[in-house]
Amino acid sequence: MSEFTLSLIITLVKIAVVLGVAMGLGAYLTWFERKLAGHIQARLGPTVVGPFGLLQPLADGIKLLTKEPIIPRGADVPVYYLAIVLALAPAILLFSVIPFGPGFTLLGREIKPIIADVNIALLVVFAMGSLAVYGTIFSGWASNSKYAFIGSLRKAAVIIAYEVVLGFAVLGVVLLAGTLSTTGIVQAQIDKGVWFVFYQPVAFILFLFCMLAESGRVPFDIQEAEAELVTGYNVEYGGMKFGIFPLAEWYLNVMALSAIAVVLFFGGWSGPPILGPLSPYFWFLAKMFGLVFFVIWLHWTLPRFQAKDVTEVAWKIMLPLALVNIIFTAVVVYMRGG
Amino acid sequence: MAVKRLGRKDYLNILEAIFFIDFLKGLSVTLRNLFRRPVTTEYPSEKLTPPKRFRGAHGHFVWDGTEPDSLKAIEKFMSYEKGKSRCVACYMCQTACPMPTLFRIEAVQMPDGSKKVTRFDMNLLNCLFCGLCVDACPVGCLTMTDLYELAGYSRRDEVLRMDRLEEFAIDFKKRRGDEPDRIWPVDGEREKLWGRIEWTG
Repeated sequence: MSEFTLSLIITLVKIAVVLGVAMGLGAYLTWFERKLAGHIQARLGPTVVGPFGLLQPLADGIKLLTKEPIIPRGADVPVYYLAIVLALAPAILLFSVIPFGPGFTLLGREIKPIIADVNIALLVVFAMGSLAVYGTIFSGWASNSKYAFIGSLRKAAVIIAYEVVLGFAVLGVVLLAGTLSTTGIVQAQIDKGVWFVFYQPVAFILFLFCMLAESGRVPFDIQEAEAELVTGYNVEYGGMKFGIFPLAEWYLNVMALSAIAVVLFFGGWSGPPILGPLSPYFWFLAKMFGLVFFVIWLHWTLPRFQAKDVTEVAWKIMLPLALVNIIFTAVVVYMRGG
Repeated sequence: MAVKRLGRKDYLNILEAIFFIDFLKGLSVTLRNLFRRPVTTEYPSEKLTPPKRFRGAHGHFVWDGTEPDSLKAIEKFMSYEKGKSRCVACYMCQTACPMPTLFRIEAVQMPDGSKKVTRFDMNLLNCLFCGLCVDACPVGCLTMTDLYELAGYSRRDEVLRMDRLEEFAIDFKKRRGDEPDRIWPVDGEREKLWGRIEWTG
């Protein structure tokens, strides 16, 4: 078997594993979020389907798949369908640059638990984050509905607020690590022996802000404000076509961006080896789900900003903060000869 | 009149804003609630018992020997039967009712001159459960029970006839007749809200 075929097979296996795990966890995050929201509000959450309602995501999936597809009159049908793909694909592609653990040797081959170990991984993250917005904007545009359209316009307003800040927030970490590669950044933190969140607390707060804005989570969920826009941009979608949007935006995106945050600020897979060879994966997933839990917890705590407030906070407070942070970091790194 | 100042500020100071104190306060509230016991009653498998004064479906108290002495005075004018409704067809309930079409009451004169109630229908689809009919009843016959699952498969099912009214009240009296007639059946719970009350009699 040629080298190329072998590496292709390995990559396909990695893709299958990551895709299966991500989609499965994404589906089960709906259950987790409903349970958490319920208990925060002194309710019970799903209890009926299966023990502790654990089969609820499957039941929801069956319900969504068997629903009648309805496309609104006057909808732009190709764009209407394209929006679904454009919402889901970038969210999944974000997982391709996430290193889940250190490389290991299997049958004499060096295998890295990352699908694409590219040296511009963070650029891929930014690119996919920007592309994900097209899903939202297309869906609002194509559905021929004013609520959906208002939702997508609000998302457009949010993206011009957070995109710039996101880039500048991450730049501090890049300066410290000296690389854009995700494995490189984790390795730099392991070599230095300290998580970058201690060097870059401001950048972490800014990243969290951008992460919430990008994944449409409270307090920046203005594009799908349930109370005023009846879930906004995806209001005209039905069945599984509807199910894709929250899955992609609320769960896959949050998971992927939490994983990126763990890579950038929390030392990736580093941690004491308590589980032998599995401990890097354990630490990575534990940190990632800690962050996911925090995001969902925040979702059920805070009220929603107005669209103008998001832009105002981003341009007037966050961006100057990010710039000061970068200049300070750059000066310190230069002084210490980094 | 003295104005009471509350110790709440309109704005956060700069340190509180930098460290997201308001966010942290909110997060602590939700976290505390997360570990609270849920208050949900899982309805079809668990059912709450309403207070005795709950205004549910109506019922007719029956002639069972527990009625007050004042009622004995009108006994000879009515053709009562043991275990049947105490109703005297005075139409007070219908008069008190805000809904003109709710009651349908008919009575006939028996050959011995006494009065017999032949029909007492209540169309609960029209009922707003205000309880004015219960207050109006001069013989303590009409009552409201704690039954609240009143859904049915047809409009006909929602009309309570005399037999069902009697049945409801007999059932209600058997289950809850001995309970003190209070809004809060558990004294401790009431005292938590309203303080201690000395009951007379």
